[in-house]
Amino acid sequence: MELVAIFISAILVNNFVLYYFLGICPFLGVSKKIDSAISMGLAVTFVMTITAVVSWAINNWILIPHGLDYLKIVSFILVIASLVQLVEMFIRKVSPPLYQALGIYLPLITTNCAIMGLALLVALREYGFAEAVVFGLGSGLGFTLAIILMAAIREQLDLADIPEPLKGAGISLIVASIMALAFMGFIGMIK
Amino acid sequence: MKLSVQMVVVLTSVGLLSGSFLATVGILTKERVELNKQREVEAAIIKVVPGTESSTKLYEAKDFKVYGGKNQDGTLIGYGILVSGIGFQDKITLMLGTDISLTKTTRLEIIEQKETPGLGAKIEDEDVFLKFWEGRDCSQAISLRKPAVKTAEELAASEVNTITGATISSESVLKIVNNSVEKLRQLIKEGQIQDGEQDVH
Amino acid sequence: MSTRSIGQEFTKGLWNENPVLRQLLGLCPTLAVTGWVINGLAMGLATSFVLIFSSIVVSIIKKLIPSQVRIASYIVIIATFVTVADRFLAAYFPDISKDLGPYVPLIVVNCIILGRQEAFSSKNSVGRSLIDALGMSSGFVLTLLVLSSIREILGSGTYLGHQVMGSWFTPWIIMILPAGAFLALGILLGIALHIEKKTKSRI
Repeated sequence: MELVAIFISAILVNNFVLYYFLGICPFLGVSKKIDSAISMGLAVTFVMTITAVVSWAINNWILIPHGLDYLKIVSFILVIASLVQLVEMFIRKVSPPLYQALGIYLPLITTNCAIMGLALLVALREYGFAEAVVFGLGSGLGFTLAIILMAAIREQLDLADIPEPLKGAGISLIVASIMALAFMGFIGMIK
Repeated sequence: MKLSVQMVVVLTSVGLLSGSFLATVGILTKERVELNKQREVEAAIIKVVPGTESSTKLYEAKDFKVYGGKNQDGTLIGYGILVSGIGFQDKITLMLGTDISLTKTTRLEIIEQKETPGLGAKIEDEDVFLKFWEGRDCSQAISLRKPAVKTAEELAASEVNTITGATISSESVLKIVNNSVEKLRQLIKEGQIQDGEQDVH
Repeated sequence: MSTRSIGQEFTKGLWNENPVLRQLLGLCPTLAVTGWVINGLAMGLATSFVLIFSSIVVSIIKKLIPSQVRIASYIVIIATFVTVADRFLAAYFPDISKDLGPYVPLIVVNCIILGRQEAFSSKNSVGRSLIDALGMSSGFVLTLLVLSSIREILGSGTYLGHQVMGSWFTPWIIMILPAGAFLALGILLGIALHIEKKTKSRI
């Protein structure tokens, strides 16, 4: 039950983009077309789930037992950077079509604060292993949901008459604001 | 060849320098950081169990810790339960004070919450919510009074006030409190909590 | 090498190349911590600390680092200073540290910092890098200050925790909610672009 609560909460209630403001750069940058938004979302979900596992292992097996808490930030960022590299090489070897779809988005993910944020939140909340995995997967799906919705709206926005200074990032943020309000309707689902 | 050697040397030395620098910073700040955490808990116990001079940790589990408040003579005068549970938006962490026989609550303090500002966040508000939690009869499950009332006199002994417009946040706190009182009662029954096992100081 | 004067090197970060308003960098912390002025200010200063010291170190050792491993080295240097800032806040300002939560460690992935190392400190002298970092930091702090002032005054009727609006004022709760963060920044970006266009067309 607890796991279901974490999962739903990560997707809808405490959405990574709309509640924690993590992953704003790709959310604004790669949301012009639905196709690319879906690929980006899947790439992020994939890396997030792996990151949750790896950062959990590092934190609970290496950092905490040895009292190396102060190396958390350095080790997490290095692990994430190398992880993304490995995932990229692995996908290129194993599945060229998948690489074609996700390839260009993977390097962008290294500097995506959603991934680092996930690793930090898993450590901060002292999640167990299963909770960490579910939280990683849920957060990734939440990000995917938000970016796809955003892309769908932006495809329509192209046809709208928007004041000149608000074109681009301005109107996207205002749309995000309305989405965040709508997502508030999900609050209280988890009891 | 020369380049790859340089790469390894540079990365290793950057890593080593940063590591040793951080180790120094880590050691220098460790004591203070832990002291801060301890002080926060201490301050909360003194607030929720009136008359506390010192405290001991009696039981520790994930999201559920029990502290004992002691008076000047070192006799246990009440429990402070530090507990987290799911609220309206996110986790709510609170500390509940009870008397030693677990029949009355002494006070409730919210340690951390991320409820809706202006609505659910009022669980931190003294006049709207917190003051109603003093001296409630917790020998049975506490219940919420709906709709909200203005004064404590209107409430029955085991009732607390609902916050207008934030029923779910109020219910969440109520649920956390009732569950943790029940859990503590169970622990005492099983003999898992005895007086003064380990000292916080 | 940059051909700007020292003064221009500093002021470009305030407006023309303002990291948030013009370059759209560092949006996560800008949105996340600006519900209250004190948090915005703390976040701005912590980020400035990391940016300034990383820029100094990177510009000193830039010649020693082979270009293949430069990003990795920069990340380690940045992460080191972020940890220092995080520990310092946790030790001396525990309340602020708790409020900011994971957003202090997240300075490490703030694109402003890595961006300045890659675009500026790795190519310029220590002095110029320092001035560039000071300018960018001031631009970032000022933006956070403007945004958090708007959000705190409208959202809770207070400034730095003191009541500034009269009792007639009903706080716009939306402004301290996530939705208000997006809305305020979106409008602020629009205003900045509008002012920029107005001044450009006059010249």
